[in-house]
Amino acid sequence: MSKPKVAVIWNASCGGCDESLVDIEDKIIDLADKVDFVLWPCAMDFKYNDVAAMKDGEIDITLVNGGIQNSGQEKIVKLLREKSKIIVAYGSCAWLGGVPSLINLKNKKDSFAVNYLDCPSVINPGKKVPMAKSMADGYELELPEIFDTLYTLDDVIDVDYYLPGCPPMPAMIINALGELLGGKLPPKGTILSPDISLCLSCSRNGTKPDRMVMGEIQRIHEIIADPDQCFLNQDVLCMGPATRDGCGYPCITGNMPCTGCMGPMKNQDQGAKMISALGGIIDGYDEEAVDRILDGIPDPAGTFYRYSTAASYLGRRREKNR
Amino acid sequence: MPEESKKNKKTVLFLCKCSSNISDTVDFEEIKKWAKKQGDIDIAAVSNLLCSPDGKKFYTEILKSRDAGKVIVAACSPRLHEKTFRGLAEECGINLGMVQMANIREQCAWVTPDKTEATEKAKSIINSALNRLGRSKEIFRRTMKAEADVIVIGGGIAGMEAARTLSRAGRKVRLIEKNISLGGSVMKSEDLAPGMECSPCLMAPILAEIRDDKNIDVITKAEITEITGFFGNFTMKVKKRPRYVEENCISCEECFKVCPVSVDSEFHEGLGKRKAIYSLFPGSVPAAAVIDREHCLHFTDNSCSACVAACPFGSINFSQEEELLSIRAGAIVVATGFTAGDVSRFSQLGHKSLDNVITSPEFEILSGTNGPTGGRILLKNGKEPQSAAVIHCAGSIRDDGIPYCSGICCTHAVKAGVMLRKKYPSIRIINIHNDLVFGTPREFAFYREAGANGTEFVKCSDLASIKISALSPAGLLKIEGDGITAVEADMAVLVTGFMPPESAADIASMTGAELDINGYFIPDHELLNATGTGLDGIYTAGCASSPLNASASVVQARAVSGDILSRLIPGKEIELELYTSVIDREKCAGCRLCISSCPYRAIYFDHDTKVSVINESICRGCGTCAAACPGGAIEANHFSDEEICAEIEGILHD
Amino acid sequence: MTEFKPKIIAFLCSWCSYAGADKAGGQKLRYPANILVVRVMCTGRVDPRFVLKAFREGADGVMVLGCHTGDCHYRNGNMKAMKRMRLLSRMLPQFGIVKERLMFNRVSGGESELFQKLATEMTENITLMGPLKIEGFVKTEGAL
Repeated sequence: MSKPKVAVIWNASCGGCDESLVDIEDKIIDLADKVDFVLWPCAMDFKYNDVAAMKDGEIDITLVNGGIQNSGQEKIVKLLREKSKIIVAYGSCAWLGGVPSLINLKNKKDSFAVNYLDCPSVINPGKKVPMAKSMADGYELELPEIFDTLYTLDDVIDVDYYLPGCPPMPAMIINALGELLGGKLPPKGTILSPDISLCLSCSRNGTKPDRMVMGEIQRIHEIIADPDQCFLNQDVLCMGPATRDGCGYPCITGNMPCTGCMGPMKNQDQGAKMISALGGIIDGYDEEAVDRILDGIPDPAGTFYRYSTAASYLGRRREKNR
Repeated sequence: MPEESKKNKKTVLFLCKCSSNISDTVDFEEIKKWAKKQGDIDIAAVSNLLCSPDGKKFYTEILKSRDAGKVIVAACSPRLHEKTFRGLAEECGINLGMVQMANIREQCAWVTPDKTEATEKAKSIINSALNRLGRSKEIFRRTMKAEADVIVIGGGIAGMEAARTLSRAGRKVRLIEKNISLGGSVMKSEDLAPGMECSPCLMAPILAEIRDDKNIDVITKAEITEITGFFGNFTMKVKKRPRYVEENCISCEECFKVCPVSVDSEFHEGLGKRKAIYSLFPGSVPAAAVIDREHCLHFTDNSCSACVAACPFGSINFSQEEELLSIRAGAIVVATGFTAGDVSRFSQLGHKSLDNVITSPEFEILSGTNGPTGGRILLKNGKEPQSAAVIHCAGSIRDDGIPYCSGICCTHAVKAGVMLRKKYPSIRIINIHNDLVFGTPREFAFYREAGANGTEFVKCSDLASIKISALSPAGLLKIEGDGITAVEADMAVLVTGFMPPESAADIASMTGAELDINGYFIPDHELLNATGTGLDGIYTAGCASSPLNASASVVQARAVSGDILSRLIPGKEIELELYTSVIDREKCAGCRLCISSCPYRAIYFDHDTKVSVINESICRGCGTCAAACPGGAIEANHFSDEEICAEIEGILHD
Repeated sequence: MTEFKPKIIAFLCSWCSYAGADKAGGQKLRYPANILVVRVMCTGRVDPRFVLKAFREGADGVMVLGCHTGDCHYRNGNMKAMKRMRLLSRMLPQFGIVKERLMFNRVSGGESELFQKLATEMTENITLMGPLKIEGFVKTEGAL
């Protein structure tokens, strides 16, 4: 019997998800024994044409990491959709847009300006920015068109499963692959981590008082954090309550608050929920007092939607009369 | 009803013309046409006046005859008739959660003169109701068993009145008092203004009634250690300290005569003496005397048992022990009273450092027949005072004292002069005041009458500037202050303000009821529920929620009793709030952020199962917790995320 | 070009602001028909998510009107709403939504004129601002 075929593809992401596959350590060797990788640009040399030549549904599982930010990525994931039985949005970028989707708070023009023109370390006398079509030495060159918006994977193609995390933790990867390769398929659309907040398993849950009040909001470097106390109870924002469980809380163990990479619970908007939860514990009786506390959150969108801007209710920046 | 048969039920839209109030502006023909296009509306029925007897008949007949399952009533505000149309629908076997009102009168027809605009808006409103109804769940009326007994904390006039009123209706009442007997602060007054009724005479029959009332269990020398539970189901733990005197004691006072110990009497504000075995005043309830363990020689060095020999009833029992009581009740009335403002920190007022400078509580007890002098007020040198200055707001309305106006002390201040003049008709009385506050026409008349009888009222622009000094040792007092010519007088009465007692804070922390910045219980609602606290079933009467005079305290006690009697009926279960919120235990991660957001402490953390739990008998359905839950584990009944989002969608896309 | 008629969602609490809006009706006080009301028992129920949902579904402005401080039927739900809306309105500009598109204010059951005034002003302001670009929802936007 032939081995299951697996593809891995990397879109708008940092590469950490590819890295995470190797982080499963010696299990990767077992995996390599059990499956045939048919595409993994980060690790192996296959061509997209090889994929295009395959039959529809020939790939058993495709792990897609990263959101979709240009026409090239769009093209390859659409191709992979045709060729794959199961598409897994691998990592929070594919599921929710991830950190790169913070670009949705700006647009293409803004981001080009920062990256290619205004950045102090850039020398670009010709003021050149990426273009889909350009001429060089008399040849017309074509590059993928960069979109104004970063899309989540399921904005672009039909997705079967979602594996959260930035990147997914080894134990989750092994579990998920075990399940999917073993043919034990959960219902389509399943997010492969518990649909409950991180507080459930957090080692500091026990030290949490039943009632909490935040008299100020500090950032983690501004205090010497007690390694056993709930961060919120130490006046430090922790996204744990609005974030999925399943990661094994490595950040908390490292005495850093959760930043929310596992994404929200089902049908929730991570940022709105965290804002709503904070509204119940922030101290202050009048607007002025509340404002003083809120000054401790200099970048609300970046704090609450660090990993989920593209999948949030608003999705991207709105501009009037554009 | 099985799910299948429910599915085939019809959705009925009632359109009420409200005579012509709505139909003059909203085009009903257009709405009907629009409704026909909405696949979800099966029947659209127009009524001239749906809330009229004919309209109601029309409503119920359609609901019954047309197999209705969901109902939209496009008419007036749900604040007016939601109950009406839900009630009627319930009679027709339709769950009340399946009736949705669309307010096309107050918020559409009446505020939108343009017919086209009004009709369009009405469509949006009806569509939002329709869309919401699509996600609505059934709501069920629920009830819960409840205790009908009541605990009253504080045996002052308010507490006693509450206990009496409740007992008259047959309720069992536990009256908890920390002092050795009942009576509270009113007992320390001789006369009550403005009627100048004799306070002990007024109190004696009340005390006797309580003594003889089998429904009222008086627990004195009590310390409350724990209060748990909620409306209908409270449990209180109380330490009852020993009296060392058995209940058969009638306070014949034989033992008082032989007791060799004499200490300052607290009841007399330290101005008189009592023995180590004592009672507060003759006729106190309970009648039994009390041995003060701290000073009694039997307990200090085992050198005396004179009282044992003197007692004709064998009532002395040195081996009595503390009792721990656990009491259950459906409601708790907090009638903890007040303490007087402290003027000791304002040295320029001369209290304690100068002779003949006394506070108003000291004046009250000195002028009382129960007092240390039997009601005589004499100067330190034994002479009768020729003149007296009454200083209003002593230690009040200043940041370093009581920062507020207590609102009732001006009457006390006027009363001090009236009482002095009754004793010494030719005495000169000078009231030094700034603002004057009188709460009722009768109190105002009392003030005017005192003025007419010779009391001088001198306005001082800043009472914090008042300085009292002695012109000679044991001689005349000189009172100076901003904007007044110096006043000379034989004596001065410092009228102090009202403060909550420390015990109020203890009860607040045990129950979780909130106190304001000054330490008074915050009323559940200033106007509509002034005697409630934020915690259902915990009430306040008297000075617990703000300074009140005796008459207002009695009124509150009766109001509280009325509320309790109307809600806690023996054998009848209490109805729970319809729109409570519910936590899905499977989804709750135990982050506890909902607990902080609940205004009623209705949510507790179950440390065994590590989830937050809403006590639905406390929950009032505001839904704040549902918004606060970051995991979406809390659903607000009838105002769920789904329902509200459906309403938003419906109102934006018709 | 047709005249821009903004859609404004107003979250009103049942006890104060909704009663104030009802009273405005009783007095026949006119205000623009653009104000579309969603009734909640308490503004404390208004999850910021509902505000974002309204913007996403095409609202050009959102009003959250609660009870006056100290008057909340549920003790302090209005304070929680104030805190939530305050934090939310700090974030909205990052998403390109000027913060004036979200109004948090307090209207008692008696303040029908105030309700009328706020409803009218909000409509005027939003009309001047123009439509919020609602087609921004990702699935229907861009090159795809």
